[in-house]
Amino acid sequence: MISVNLLLAIIGAAFLLPLIWLVDAALNPHASAALTGPAWSLSNFRAALAAGAGGAIKNSLYLAMVSTIVATSVSTIAAFALSRHRVPFKASLLLVILFLAGLPVTLLLIPIFEIYVHLGWLNSPFYTSLVLAATSVPFAIWLLKNFIDQVPRELEEAAAIEGASDLRILWGIVIPLAMPGILVASILTFINSWGAFLIPLVLDANPKDQPGAVGIFQFMSANGVVHFGPLAAYSIIFSAPVVLMYLICSRWLNGGFAFAGGVKG
Amino acid sequence: MANVVLEGVSKYFNGETPAVYDLDLEVEDGEFIVVVGPSGCGKTTTLRMLAGFETPTKGTLRIGGKVMNRIPPKDRNLAMVFQNYALFPHMTIEKNLAFGMKIRRNPRSSIKKEVEEIAGMLGISQLLGRKPGELSGGERQRVALGRALLRQPQVFLLDEPLSNLDAALRAQMRVELKRIHSQYPVTTIYVTHDQVEAMTMADRVALMNGGRLQQIAKPETLYEQPTNIFAASFVGTPKINLLPGKLRRESDGVQLNFLSLTKRLNGSLGEKLSQLPVTEVTVGFRPEDIRLAPQGVDGLHVVSATVELVEPLGSETNVVVRVMDQVITCKLPARTGLSTGDAIRLEFDIPQMKLFDNESTNRLN
Ligand SMILES: Nc1ncnc2c1ncn2[C@@H]1O[C@H](COP(=O)(O)OP(=O)(O)O)[C@@H](O)[C@H]1O
Ligand SMILES: [Mg+2]
Repeated sequence: MISVNLLLAIIGAAFLLPLIWLVDAALNPHASAALTGPAWSLSNFRAALAAGAGGAIKNSLYLAMVSTIVATSVSTIAAFALSRHRVPFKASLLLVILFLAGLPVTLLLIPIFEIYVHLGWLNSPFYTSLVLAATSVPFAIWLLKNFIDQVPRELEEAAAIEGASDLRILWGIVIPLAMPGILVASILTFINSWGAFLIPLVLDANPKDQPGAVGIFQFMSANGVVHFGPLAAYSIIFSAPVVLMYLICSRWLNGGFAFAGGVKG
Repeated sequence: MANVVLEGVSKYFNGETPAVYDLDLEVEDGEFIVVVGPSGCGKTTTLRMLAGFETPTKGTLRIGGKVMNRIPPKDRNLAMVFQNYALFPHMTIEKNLAFGMKIRRNPRSSIKKEVEEIAGMLGISQLLGRKPGELSGGERQRVALGRALLRQPQVFLLDEPLSNLDAALRAQMRVELKRIHSQYPVTTIYVTHDQVEAMTMADRVALMNGGRLQQIAKPETLYEQPTNIFAASFVGTPKINLLPGKLRRESDGVQLNFLSLTKRLNGSLGEKLSQLPVTEVTVGFRPEDIRLAPQGVDGLHVVSATVELVEPLGSETNVVVRVMDQVITCKLPARTGLSTGDAIRLEFDIPQMKLFDNESTNRLN
């Protein structure tokens, strides 16, 4: 028992130490690669914001939000269709979708780039976010289909016999009951898009459109010298929204959502 | 309100065996029909075709004179109570009840009024603010019923609505459902596997087995004049006694032999049987059609029996006896004073005898 706890403590420390360093360095105007102990100052944050961290976060937010909305809506409707309708070759289709979910983006990026050149969609945050959405859609469909499968079919039938249209059933019954799944899919898409580096780097060369991940990278290699303090501050600013969202949603999900009572047995 | 007509309706889900086969059924306007049969006989499938969740493979389905085969559920104006209630778990009881009226765009004030009225009638007014998960089985059942009633449907469809309730509540709800039906005489198709529900609630009972309609009749007719062996043994507790019998044709009529008894069959039955090639038959007697033979009577219809089991039910006694190699159950008066091993003599009420052809299993008399 003690040895297990010790092991867990060591693993915990291994994750915690870099975090402590990050916070420490962000607050220390003379930060280095070493842990230095507290030296309270916000100058690093000021430096990071001066280097464009604010604008980059806004760009990240735009890309993540648009791609999350698009990916979640598309996946929900696709998952509903896959769950409820007779789709030819459904089993193989689902396997293909799962396969697509595992495909590395790098493989597709060059052809997408060429298509975008033709369409004139380069250097546009909106069209970039569509590609980000597309990378999340396969897994989101897979995830949501499993959640929608759990919604008892009788509930839809009960609504249908009361006169509800398909759209009404989707909106009023299926979506509320699959909401935990939709939230999970949204969070995963959001985090995926938020951290995206390669896609925005390749598809949008406009320096004004750079999201946080690209911003950090450029900030890091800006003039050959690594400024640990401002870099740490930049990282904290960049991760804050995701951490915040995670905290909010984990509470929401913990609140629990059960089908109990609607259908017995 | 409307009548319901099924003409030659079959449903094949896959392959050879139909879930429902060649079903003809006419339900009159305002009638309370109970569809009964063992599990898997196609009751739910029949109901789901009526509701529009399944399309018949063959046949025609009419509601209120209108062919419904391809009309989607939402346009059929029916109400259904599902076996598992199918209440919307994310909505309060009030919202569950109001769901349909909202969709049909009733004014808000009338929705509120009607929901409260129906909740009062079903005794669930105090539950309106709760979610289905916080209700007991009986309460959910009432909510499901209330939701269906608010629909003011052409036809009511109920799929084993009482099967999840305990015995006492089930008995109470049987009465309540009949009361509601007499208050709102809507055409009702009620599915159950429980013969007691069928017999006590139905205007007419439709008995199904293996996807086929066996008989449709008033409860007492089903009991007194079952069309075949299945119908005879499905209704009645204890079950009807089925004994092997033989027919012998003679110059002046037909003779029936069963157990140690010989019975001459005269009249139209004898005439009919003398025309048929049947020799092997099954002789059916309901437990209440067998009684203790009075002392001294040694008539044609009396057999000797040994008591195997006595089940006193208070008002009467079920007695299981052995006669030759057959086990027979009879329903005798209370306080018979019998005990296991007693030798008794039993008399069969011959006019109540039911005679079945072994091959077709159809009733002959
Ligand atoms: N969706 C379905 N797909 C395939 N077979 C089905 C389906 N629904 C019912 N069946 C089959 O049809 C038969 C009748 O089922 P059902 O109507 O549910 O019987 P009951 O309600 O009388 O118990 C059963 O053999 C069942 O397995
Ligand atoms: Mg059933």
